[in-house]
Amino acid sequence: MENLQSSTLQLRKLTKRYSSFDAVRDLDLDVPSGSLLTLLGPSGCGKTTVLRMIAGFLNVTSGQILVDGKDISRSEPNFRDIGMVFQNYALFPHMTVEANVAFGLKMRGVTKEEQVTRVREALEMVQLAHLADRYPSQLSGGQQQRVALARAVVIKPKLLLLDEPLGALDRHLREGLQFELRELQKKLGITSILVTHDQDEALYLSDYIAVMNQGQIEQIDTPIALYDKPRSEFVARFLGVPNIFDARIVSTDAHHATIGLGGHTMPVSNMDGHAAGGECKVAIRPSHIEVVRADDGRLGLPGVVKTAHELGERVVYHVEVNDLKFEANTPRSSNFERFTVGHPVKLVLDPAHTVLLRA
Amino acid sequence: MIVQRSDPTRFLITPALIVGLFIVSAYGYFAFSSLFLKGLPGTQFVGELTLENYRRVLFTGSNQYVLLSTLWASLVISLITIAIAVPMAMVIVRAKRQWVGNIIMLAIAVTFLSGSVTRAYSWLILLGNKGLVNLGLSGLGIVDAPIRFLYNWTGVGIAISHYLLPFAAFTLIGAVRNLNPSVEEAARSLGAGRATVFWRITMPMLLPGLMVTLVLVYSVALASFLFPMLLGGGKVRMIANQIYDRMFVEYDIPYAAATAVVFLISAFVSIWLISFVAKKVEKAVS
Repeated sequence: MENLQSSTLQLRKLTKRYSSFDAVRDLDLDVPSGSLLTLLGPSGCGKTTVLRMIAGFLNVTSGQILVDGKDISRSEPNFRDIGMVFQNYALFPHMTVEANVAFGLKMRGVTKEEQVTRVREALEMVQLAHLADRYPSQLSGGQQQRVALARAVVIKPKLLLLDEPLGALDRHLREGLQFELRELQKKLGITSILVTHDQDEALYLSDYIAVMNQGQIEQIDTPIALYDKPRSEFVARFLGVPNIFDARIVSTDAHHATIGLGGHTMPVSNMDGHAAGGECKVAIRPSHIEVVRADDGRLGLPGVVKTAHELGERVVYHVEVNDLKFEANTPRSSNFERFTVGHPVKLVLDPAHTVLLRA
Repeated sequence: MIVQRSDPTRFLITPALIVGLFIVSAYGYFAFSSLFLKGLPGTQFVGELTLENYRRVLFTGSNQYVLLSTLWASLVISLITIAIAVPMAMVIVRAKRQWVGNIIMLAIAVTFLSGSVTRAYSWLILLGNKGLVNLGLSGLGIVDAPIRFLYNWTGVGIAISHYLLPFAAFTLIGAVRNLNPSVEEAARSLGAGRATVFWRITMPMLLPGLMVTLVLVYSVALASFLFPMLLGGGKVRMIANQIYDRMFVEYDIPYAAATAVVFLISAFVSIWLISFVAKKVEKAVS
């Protein structure tokens, strides 16, 4: 299958209003051509609503959905030229795998011979050419979802929408299919939107991640930037950062700041231009906190170990520093030092990964 | 599986067995009577074993006509009922405004709970030459002369169809509810319009449910008695009416019994035939 002419997607002030609340409010979003953007968020944040509006299954209250600059927000779903993959596969149960994949081509009036070739190519792409005569009920979940994927891309859609495509699969299958999905999307270069609440899936699959909360986008970034530098408390918490504390900004310069935390001062990075003298929140991941002896020479926060659990490849400590409870991870490398409960220790925070959050 | 010989629960089946035997023996006795001739008034049947009653049922024109028209009309009425019930079930399950579905549901439930006699007389009032329907039609200038609904198959068909509607709708609600809307959405996004999705995706997925519904309402329709009697005015006769007449007008119990036996067998055969065709159709579509 040759590469597709990639399209761009822009959402402008997209709004979905229900009688009692706004599911999506004034949402602006740009998806560069050929990239995969993930809408990530807890259930009820509006991510599925956005996807269904793009697909045309939900009416837009106001705003625009621009594909290559053309507003499609009022056209019928069958004229949008969008491929969609659903969480529950949504294959046509009364058709063979081959007929499922051919359906979109048939609707487009593609000739019989071309249908056969393109269906075979699409099925080969997902390694299911040998199952073309089966019915969906005779396939495993992973196979069904690959058929659904083939069915969605065989029509060479402008956009590929993925609604929790791996949500119904067990962990082992999910990882395999994640890889396949990513390879296929890159190879075909289809502009894609993925909806998920699984942050690992989002980090693995995406070029960009937009974290949504209450119908709006909290932060949009590359996966690594999002992981390293969450900019609000919501994003930090959603991405599983347990250490979020109130802090005071003592002084700032261009990209750094000194904060007061737990009665001590710490250097941190300051990307958002927080001003000195203000209150703020600070977030740090457990893996960016080093637990060392209390007499270590480096700058750090002295505390006492409250719990210590060895979990496979790491040790999880809970350390109390002046009423603040920190969670810290230490890799269980060959000669790491074990600290037991009640042991006085010092926490060394990595300044590059200690993040000031927007208030 | 291990069968426990001394399982006391098997004795609990005894009362049910006695009742069941009683019922079956009554039917059996009735069927047995079909092999004799009608006796004098006051007796049930007399004489030697004979197939005379069956000969009369199977080889007289009027009997054949009533039997075949009962089977055929039941099928046609059932199909019409299902054609009406499908959109109803879809609206009840899928209406964007819940109250629309609720109102239709309520209307069907009320229909279901009201007695057949009440409904038959309601249809008499509505469908008569000076009934509401004809008054409305002529008042609007749609027809010049009143349409004759009563004392023909039209009126009987309308009433039976109305009677069957709740059975069909309630059965289909379940089938529609079990449809996965994503499948239809997938078809839409692949380029199919609403009508195409309905005929190529929704209906094939509903087919098993439709077939179950057809068999159900067909069986109920076959047993129609009251509507042809009251709305057919003696001109529309279904087999139940014929059996009734032979029992209670002619007092010819053996003849009635033979009619019933023939009817029962042909009903079973036709239901089996419908299921058979249904399975073939399902295979062909899938």
